[in-house]
Amino acid sequence: MSIFRLGDQKPPAPQRITDTVVMRFEHVFEVDPDLMQVTPQQAMPAWDTQRIVAARWDHLDWMHDHFADEVLLAGEPSETMEEHG
Amino acid sequence: MTVAFKSAIDDAVIDELRAIVGDDDRVLTGESSRVFRSRVPAPFPVHRWADHMPDVCVLPRTAEEVSEVVKLANRLRIPVVPRAGGTGLSDGAVPLRGGICVDVKLMNKIHEIDLVDHTVTVGPGINMLKLNEELKRYGVFYPDDPASYPCSLVGGRIGTGGWSLLGARFGHTRDNVISMQVVLPTGEIVEIAEGGGRKLRKSSTGLTLKQLFTGHQGTLGITTEATLDVIPRPECEFAAFFAFEDYDTAYRTTGVLTKSGLATLAGVVLFDEWKIAYLRRDDEAYIPQPESVKAVVAVAMYGRKLEVEPASKEVMRLGRSLGGKYLGDEISAGDWASRHDRYATPLHGRNLDGQAVIMSWHCEDAALNYSVLPQVREEWHAIVKRYRERYGIFDDWGMFAYTNGAYKPWADYLVEIDVGIWEQKLDEETWNAWVNCKREISEVSLKYGGSITACHGATRAGDAELVPAEMGSAWPVVKAIKRALDPNNVMNPGKQSLDEAYE
Repeated sequence: MSIFRLGDQKPPAPQRITDTVVMRFEHVFEVDPDLMQVTPQQAMPAWDTQRIVAARWDHLDWMHDHFADEVLLAGEPSETMEEHG
Repeated sequence: MTVAFKSAIDDAVIDELRAIVGDDDRVLTGESSRVFRSRVPAPFPVHRWADHMPDVCVLPRTAEEVSEVVKLANRLRIPVVPRAGGTGLSDGAVPLRGGICVDVKLMNKIHEIDLVDHTVTVGPGINMLKLNEELKRYGVFYPDDPASYPCSLVGGRIGTGGWSLLGARFGHTRDNVISMQVVLPTGEIVEIAEGGGRKLRKSSTGLTLKQLFTGHQGTLGITTEATLDVIPRPECEFAAFFAFEDYDTAYRTTGVLTKSGLATLAGVVLFDEWKIAYLRRDDEAYIPQPESVKAVVAVAMYGRKLEVEPASKEVMRLGRSLGGKYLGDEISAGDWASRHDRYATPLHGRNLDGQAVIMSWHCEDAALNYSVLPQVREEWHAIVKRYRERYGIFDDWGMFAYTNGAYKPWADYLVEIDVGIWEQKLDEETWNAWVNCKREISEVSLKYGGSITACHGATRAGDAELVPAEMGSAWPVVKAIKRALDPNNVMNPGKQSLDEAYE
């Protein structure tokens, strides 16, 4: 059972990823807030961000299922992220 | 010239429309109903919205109702604009002269599933995703797969002559429509196929009318029923994305893959440097990629596992054969799945200060041969750069080239440059600038022997006026057909320069 704590819902401080992108949650990227002056950002609690990210994966799985019974993978790691890391 | 004009609709016409459908709720005159049926997702002159509103919207349920509506319009010279999902990336469903919008969304029934002769017969208002959810129960699949798969409708796909992500394997819309019922501009209901035979995929009797009635952009009639091919549902899919340090190597690898002869190959896509730079701003799959990634080639295959599995090994070999690097399973499977649903992507571009702004999405598409892709790419980007720097409301979101030949992926490409447009800033000057930008892009396509549109249709200012030039010596034939079928120019008037047929 998970316990909802209001204090946990404040997004953590951003970590810079690129000149124009920051990250607050693992592999969840945001446009640098400094570049969102014309289009203001919506304040979003942590649970809502995580819900949207999870829904995205659900959506992709659901979409795969529309087109074929099985998704074959090469089963190999990324060759670009290896060199990056 | 006695052709359709806008101001013919009055209360008597509305009453007559209500009498035809017998249901006041299916004759919509309210402003919101008409505003919603004024535009499509493509950039729109929002400062002149009222110029594009239909005067009334009708939602028929039967071909007979459509026929009576069109006969009324023809008698009174009222423009008729067919509309299905309204998801087009050109203006096929946008009224240019008001009139009656015939919205076919309520004609969304599956009439017959024939598992013996492998067809499904549907109304034009059904969506491919919903259709395939039903067909899945029977182990078959309708393989028309646009980037608007969850929201576009069969009728719009036929009117547009749609292009499919899986076209290299399963064909495009025109290849998967076997026959259809069409209401002509004069109101007659006709059965259109290759020859006769509602379920025959090949005939040499008479003229092959089916092709004429796919891709006419709603200018030759309204499809009221379609019999479609269904294929055995694919057992499996395989997608692989490869990264490159330069465009040229990616381009040559695209050529290697498309000429591989692999029968299960459904599509190959080449993303250029501008597209990768755009994705690196906003797309979680590309943001963490190293700067050395300048171009990407994506491959997708579908079929029986016993075919796809060994072919996937060959794709991995060919994708790396000139130096490509595999981007990994997660991005390959996830990014490929997202290609079926690009309309769910939030669109924001950058102004000249680098600030994120909400933009609408213009996909300028062309059909081009493999040999000219590098040159066209340079010239298209140069055009967009010039307009972006001068006006500050446009943004270059990069280009891709996608296999375009049905069943023959080796030499034709659907090529798109995606341009963001800050619609809130549009005024007459900037809209005209956009139209000029678009025309310059289309002229480059013609200069290199291409077609100004592979799938969206040449229905907007900026490319519609170039249709006669592209058609060349065939243009008089096109005009004669339009005039013969639509003597009063009521069917979606103003599109594709077809007004010239009445001069």
